[in-house]
Amino acid sequence: MSKLNQVIIPTTCLYSLQAVDFVINDKKILSDISIDLEPGVITGIIGPSGAGKSTLLSLLNKLLSPTGGEIFFDGRNLSEYPSQELRKLVGLVQQRPHLFAGTVRYNLEYGPKIWKIKYSDEDLLELMSKVALPADFLDREIDGLSGGEQQRVSFARSLANQPCVLLLDEPTSALDIVSSEIIENTIKQLAKEGMKIIIVTHSLQQTQDLTEQLLFLKDGCFIEKTSTIDFFKKYDEEEIRTFFKSKTEEE
Amino acid sequence: MAFIDIFNDIWSTLSNVDILIRIALSSVMLLIIVILSLWQNVGMETMFLWSFFRGFIQIVLMGSILTLIFDISKIWLLYIVLISMCVFAAFSISRRYRYPKMFLIELLAITSSSIFILTLVMFSGVPAAFEGIIPYPPQGEFIIPMGSMVISNTMVITSIVLERTKSDILKAKGSVEAALALGDSSTNAVRTILRDSYKAGLMPSTSRVAILGIVSIPGLMSGMIIGGVPPVEAAVYQIVIFLMILSSSFPASIIANALFTRQFFTKEHQFDLVFLNQLAKIEEEKNAQIKKNKKKMDKLKEKLRRKNKK
Repeated sequence: MSKLNQVIIPTTCLYSLQAVDFVINDKKILSDISIDLEPGVITGIIGPSGAGKSTLLSLLNKLLSPTGGEIFFDGRNLSEYPSQELRKLVGLVQQRPHLFAGTVRYNLEYGPKIWKIKYSDEDLLELMSKVALPADFLDREIDGLSGGEQQRVSFARSLANQPCVLLLDEPTSALDIVSSEIIENTIKQLAKEGMKIIIVTHSLQQTQDLTEQLLFLKDGCFIEKTSTIDFFKKYDEEEIRTFFKSKTEEE
Repeated sequence: MAFIDIFNDIWSTLSNVDILIRIALSSVMLLIIVILSLWQNVGMETMFLWSFFRGFIQIVLMGSILTLIFDISKIWLLYIVLISMCVFAAFSISRRYRYPKMFLIELLAITSSSIFILTLVMFSGVPAAFEGIIPYPPQGEFIIPMGSMVISNTMVITSIVLERTKSDILKAKGSVEAALALGDSSTNAVRTILRDSYKAGLMPSTSRVAILGIVSIPGLMSGMIIGGVPPVEAAVYQIVIFLMILSSSFPASIIANALFTRQFFTKEHQFDLVFLNQLAKIEEEKNAQIKKNKKKMDKLKEKLRRKNKK
């Protein structure tokens, strides 16, 4: 596959958040968050719903800007980092697929086209194989795909930019077990290949299976950063269950 | 002075015997309606008489003011009339669609494109080519009605386009954000949405052109034929008008969309949450108003029902 990003993957500090606030409509979503994130491990962002996890994720690829404080990516202040350039390096997979109307091919080519790069059919098939999509899906309309297949296309669409960091916002919350497994395997494989992954999740099993370190948020505040193993040692089962309660379960 | 002139004008026209006969003949028709209403117990007799009397006075007054405007041959005066029409159009749209900066956006879009097209037509060979139908050099008689058609249609079409753009961006917020997350610029991320909005706005006028002559003879052309213009010339004139409407509305829509969609995003290619919040509030108010009106209507209906029972 033709190389899109010739960027050196950050080695010392992936992200550094310094006293980050996010306020919208006089409502504090995140307050005074300071974290340093090292590269090299899959990081999970966990916490009860309403903790501001998705907002934090959006701050990392500048879909939102903090209303206070500063965020550094690879040593550069995000407020000076050109948004489009940053988002090429930092991919995002949303909770729902939100595909563009058209074929799978159109969706996969969308990102590279922004950078005036044309992928060959082999390149596209290679992308699809990463998320276990069969080759004959390439020219199918997205309307005919199942929810799980659409989310896999959405995953592949983000990978098409060849990002070096991948942000995942509950990527499997709307999926069946089979599709979830495929996506989890993809995440593991990508991590092995050196991709930096930050995942927001409500799944206890996913947290244990995938992540190595955890950021624990509650009510917009940063509680702690620990290794996954320590986290599960520290809290008892009942407490942990309340942390992972998702919105849908509460309703 | 001008007012006295107007009344003198009206008086001299109305005291003409021919006109009096025409009015009398029309009154016979009014009489028929009134008799029918009495016979069928519809109870609309006074309403018929009053509305026709009122309408008659209003339109005669309007007509005489029009004669004043039509006599304008000074170009700069014509432009002032046209621009004030644009201002009024923008104002009435901004009252109906209360989105932020709507007045300015519409004013810029409508004024720039319709005045441009009208200027182009006025000073190209078009009026000269219609010698005998259109006075040349152009006068109010020709510019004002033409301008009103162009401006009012541009107003309606741009408002359809903007409304469509707004609802489509809100509907497709997720995929617009997905495009932004891939590194797309905000202008490019809404491109397909804008394309659809142009289709929605321009389609009705375009299909009206497509069925011209087969299904419909537009009011303007009918009027000209009744007024004695040869039908073929009237037809050509009608086509010119449609072309003017489309060639004013399309660029106006592009300008309006560009200014309007800019508000949705920040310079950093993010959704502008403050603006989205404003929109949501406006939408809420609108829905509350609709609910209120509905309640009022229900109450009225209830009252009427009770009255009827009594």
